[in-house]
Amino acid sequence: MGGQRTEQGDQDPGVSFQLGADKVHVLILKPEDLALRNTILDAVLNLSAVKYTYSLVYLAAPRLFGASVDATVFRTHGIGLLLYDERRIDEAVPAQPMQTEQAVRNDKSVLTELATLKTMYLDMERTISQLRDDLNAAHNLHTVREQIGRIPVPIDVITTPDSYDHDPPHGGLLPSYFVNNPWLDVLSKRGNGEREPIAG
Amino acid sequence: MSVDNYRSNYTFAMDFGTSDFKFGPITLGEQPRVVNNRGYFPDKNSVMYKAFEATSDVIVGDDVPLYLQSAEDLSSRLIYPMRNGVIERNDDQAWRVVQSLTDYGLASFKPQPNNGFQGYYVVVSLSSVSPRYMYEKLMSAFLENNRGMVRAVTVIPQPFAVAIGHGVTTCVVIESGHGNSQVCPISKYPIRAAQVALNRGGGDANAIASEILKDAGYSDLANEEAVVRKVKENIGLVPENLDSAIGEAKRSPRRFRARYKLPGTRIEIDLEKDSWSRFLIGEYVFNPNHEIFESYFNRGMPRPRDVKMGDTVFKGMLDFGGAIVTSVERCPVELQPLLYREVLLSGGNFSWAVPAKLQDMAVDAPTKVKSLLRERGIKNVSVKMTNSPQFSVWHGCIIYGFAIPENYEWDWQRLEGWMKVPN
Repeated sequence: MGGQRTEQGDQDPGVSFQLGADKVHVLILKPEDLALRNTILDAVLNLSAVKYTYSLVYLAAPRLFGASVDATVFRTHGIGLLLYDERRIDEAVPAQPMQTEQAVRNDKSVLTELATLKTMYLDMERTISQLRDDLNAAHNLHTVREQIGRIPVPIDVITTPDSYDHDPPHGGLLPSYFVNNPWLDVLSKRGNGEREPIAG
Repeated sequence: MSVDNYRSNYTFAMDFGTSDFKFGPITLGEQPRVVNNRGYFPDKNSVMYKAFEATSDVIVGDDVPLYLQSAEDLSSRLIYPMRNGVIERNDDQAWRVVQSLTDYGLASFKPQPNNGFQGYYVVVSLSSVSPRYMYEKLMSAFLENNRGMVRAVTVIPQPFAVAIGHGVTTCVVIESGHGNSQVCPISKYPIRAAQVALNRGGGDANAIASEILKDAGYSDLANEEAVVRKVKENIGLVPENLDSAIGEAKRSPRRFRARYKLPGTRIEIDLEKDSWSRFLIGEYVFNPNHEIFESYFNRGMPRPRDVKMGDTVFKGMLDFGGAIVTSVERCPVELQPLLYREVLLSGGNFSWAVPAKLQDMAVDAPTKVKSLLRERGIKNVSVKMTNSPQFSVWHGCIIYGFAIPENYEWDWQRLEGWMKVPN
């Protein structure tokens, strides 16, 4: 495991590494740079300018620098601080992972995609609701047909005129006042031998 | 039952009401077409008649208003053939209007060619008090003027159609229209021998409303039938007990105040302190026997009299409770409790509003009829309006035409069956 140095632009004063998925950039201050006030300021500003280009950015400065700097400032801006001397290098302030511009661009596309998915979901909900209504209507129709069919008389052959074989224009449905109407049975038996009153 | 695919398309019903002619085939579903039951005989020399190139001697249907001329002509040219439910045998104008209406009705639903149409099965409904000659003349009209549109025709009484449309096989039907009311027991068949007819209907409510308007100072409006009818419909109330209602209305005139503004005008009718009289309008229809009406009779308002029309005597002063009891008691004793269990009210004359604030004194028609029956000792009774007061007759005719066997032929004794129309 270890980072691999990456290519960087000529104007880029630091050192860049690819550490796994992270791109790390380190700007190194030399001991002689500490004497120059503007150099330190310049280095920090440079790191701030490039911090969204990398996952992690560090300022590496001589250990002497650590005594005079407030680590809170680095933490606030997410810039890591490495202090070094002849013997070792210490991470005085860990760098905060930065969302790169690419990540921001990716986020925007994710948001767009989410919005699209949401729209599709709403459309689907509306379609399902409509299908549900259609299904209920079809079910009610079936129930009405069943009720008409429950009239306790045998269904016989189709009657006059013999030559008629067209479908009813209204889909074969009878009006609501036919449903469960006992007169359909009573009237259908007219003239079938039952005793009939004289009108008088 | 034979499922008749043909008659599920081509059953046709015609309801000749006192004011409206309702007609149409089974395929219309819940509602028929409605036009006024009237015809206009235009002056053939008039400009309008020539302009519209009318070839008919009688104008019916939606075109009637186009031909109406001066008000003076209306009484002689605008004919309402069934205002009293019965057409005189020799009233040629009225019969021509009926013929024109049947032609108009069928022509309005002429099927497309080449679809197997071989004539409608037509069911016509008439008043239950229609004499036999009305059946004969109506049948003749279809036989002579077929034009390929009618395969068979039959005639049934309107109360019978109401019972069929409502789906009750044993009941008493009270049909009340503009000119008269009929009480008809039904037990799978109309029990014609037990029918009772009343010479009282919505027109009588108009008459008392007119008198009330005159008393309140609206004499000019009292002579306009359309205005009087609107006043009746909007301020008339039916009291459960007339004396109690009048007493309460006089004690609280503001609560019972009858005010009505005629739509589209600046005219507002306000009975003010005489608002109690709004209860007379409804009471008069159901029971004209209260002594308070005597003053109106004495002043010239016609008292409903017993009249004979055709074969039937129409009772003038019998209240609805008495009419129902009289009719039911003409039926077999075993049937009577069953008849009281289902009393159906049908017709526009039973549509009475009950304002929410006046529910302690004003009632609807079923409640009033129950009250009248209770006064006569009939307690186990159910009274209700038909499901569809406006169209129940037409519904019943459609069911009858659909269900009656095709081979059930017309018989002049039983007055039922199909009269086949030769093509």
